Amino acid sequence: MRKTRILLLSFVSVFFLAARADEFRFPLKSGSVRFAAIGDMGTGDTAQYEVAQRMVAARQNFPFEFVIMLGDNIYGGSTPRDFEKKFEVPYKPLLDAGVKFYASLGNHDNPNERFYKLFNMNEATYYTFKKGNVRFYVLDSNYMDAKQLEWLQKQLQEAGEGDWKICYFHHPLYSSGKSHGSSIELRSLIEPLFIKYGVDAVFSGHDHVYERVKPEKGIYYFVEGSSGQLRAGGLAKSSITDDGFDSDRTFMMIEITGDELYFQTLSRAGNQVD
Amino acid sequence: MQMKRRLRHASQAILLAAALFLALAPVASGQNASPSSPKEEAKNAEEFKEFLDRVRAYVTLHKTVASSLPVLKPTALPEMINAHEQALGRKIREARPHAKRGDIFSEKSRAAFRRAVRDEFRGPQGRLARKTIQQGEPLKEVHVRINEPYPDGVPFTTVPPTLLLRFPKLPDEVAYRIVGRDLILLDVESNLVIDSIQEIFPPAI
Repeated sequence: MRKTRILLLSFVSVFFLAARADEFRFPLKSGSVRFAAIGDMGTGDTAQYEVAQRMVAARQNFPFEFVIMLGDNIYGGSTPRDFEKKFEVPYKPLLDAGVKFYASLGNHDNPNERFYKLFNMNEATYYTFKKGNVRFYVLDSNYMDAKQLEWLQKQLQEAGEGDWKICYFHHPLYSSGKSHGSSIELRSLIEPLFIKYGVDAVFSGHDHVYERVKPEKGIYYFVEGSSGQLRAGGLAKSSITDDGFDSDRTFMMIEITGDELYFQTLSRAGNQVD
Repeated sequence: MQMKRRLRHASQAILLAAALFLALAPVASGQNASPSSPKEEAKNAEEFKEFLDRVRAYVTLHKTVASSLPVLKPTALPEMINAHEQALGRKIREARPHAKRGDIFSEKSRAAFRRAVRDEFRGPQGRLARKTIQQGEPLKEVHVRINEPYPDGVPFTTVPPTLLLRFPKLPDEVAYRIVGRDLILLDVESNLVIDSIQEIFPPAI
C-alpha cells in the first residue's frame, strides 16, 4: 500500500508552501515521529543554554520525543564537569521530561562518550535505531573504515523498504560552509550506498551554520552546526544551497508522518529561519 | 521568507542509484580506492603480517588487563567512564613499562605504511585526502608520547577514509589517528597512544 503511494508520488518530491511563521503548524498526527536536531552544541557557553531554553519553549507546541545530536557534543575535554556543564545542565528540562538524546561523534568528541548512557549509543561509535516508521543510521564520520562501511551496507540492505531511512553524522557530504565545506572524499564512499538503498534525508554538522541543501540525487541534506557554536557570516551560499542562515544559533524540529516530513528551523531568538 | 514544507520520498532516485552503485560498489564495499596489483597486494600482506601479529598480541594484553577491572557498561556517571579510562591506561602502561616507538609498527610495516600514504597522496584521491585532513582539524602544536594518554580536549583529526581502506583492518580496541604529520596507533578505550610512525604525512597538509 505504502509502496504504491510512493510510486504515485515519484515525480513530486518537494512541495513549497509559503506561509507566515505564525501560520506554521506541524500536523502533530497520532503516531508520527517527532524529534529535534542539534549540532556542534557542546560549548557550555551562554548561547548553548539559550538555544536549549528555546528548545524547551518550542516543545510546548511541538512535543518532540527525542533529539538527534550531530556531533561535537562536548568540546574541550571529557571530565565529569564537562558533561555537566555542556550537556546535563543546559538540557536538564528536556532530560527531566523524558526526552532522549541520540548522539553521533564529532571530531571534538572522546569516543568513550559511547559509554555515556544519556547519549544512548550503547557502547558503539556507529549504530542504528528505529522510531515508528523511521530507521536512523548514526555514523562515525571521523573514522569511516572498511568495517563501518560494510556495517552500513548490511544495515541498509536489511532495512524494510517502506521505512524512512535517515542518516546522521558529523561531517557534511554537502555544505557551503566557509570553514570546512563538503566532505567530498567521504561522499565518494557513502553516497552510492545512500542512493542504492534509498536514504531519504541526511543531517550533519561540522560547519557552524545552518544550511538546507537542494536535493542531491533525490536525497535531502541539512547542515545544522550552529546549536552552540556559530561562525557568523560563515555560509557562502552556493549553487547547492536551497536556504541557509548564519547570523545566530539554530536548532531543527522535524515531524514524520506517513510519507511526509515536516521541518522547521528556529533561531536562538525564536525566529523561524527555515 | 518563512516557509512550510513537505518532503516526500524521492523514489525517482532508484534508476540513478543502480547506475552509480555499479560504478562505485567496489569502493563502498571496502576495497582499496586504487586497487593494487595482486603482486603488490601479496607484498603488502607480507609486510603488514608482522604488524598485525603485534596488534593481536597487544589486544590480548589489553583484554587481559581489562579483565582485571570491572566491566564498563553504559553509565549516566561520566566519572565512572573517566575512572575506567584512567585505570585501564595506568594498568596497560604498567604492563608495558618500556614501550617505545616501533614496538607495534615493525620496520617492514613502517615502509609499507609509508608507501600506502605516499600512493594515496600522489594518487587520484590525494587531493581529496589532503582536503579531508584540512577540513578535519589538522593539529599543529600537539605532541604525543608513546604510553601516554592522547591529550584530553584535543580534537581528533579526521582520518581520510580512502587512506583507511589502504591500511590493514584493526580490531575494535585500537585505531589509527593522525597527529600533525605522524600516524599514531591509539588504544581507544584507554585513550593511550601505543605506537607511532613519525613524519609519514607530507608537509603542509
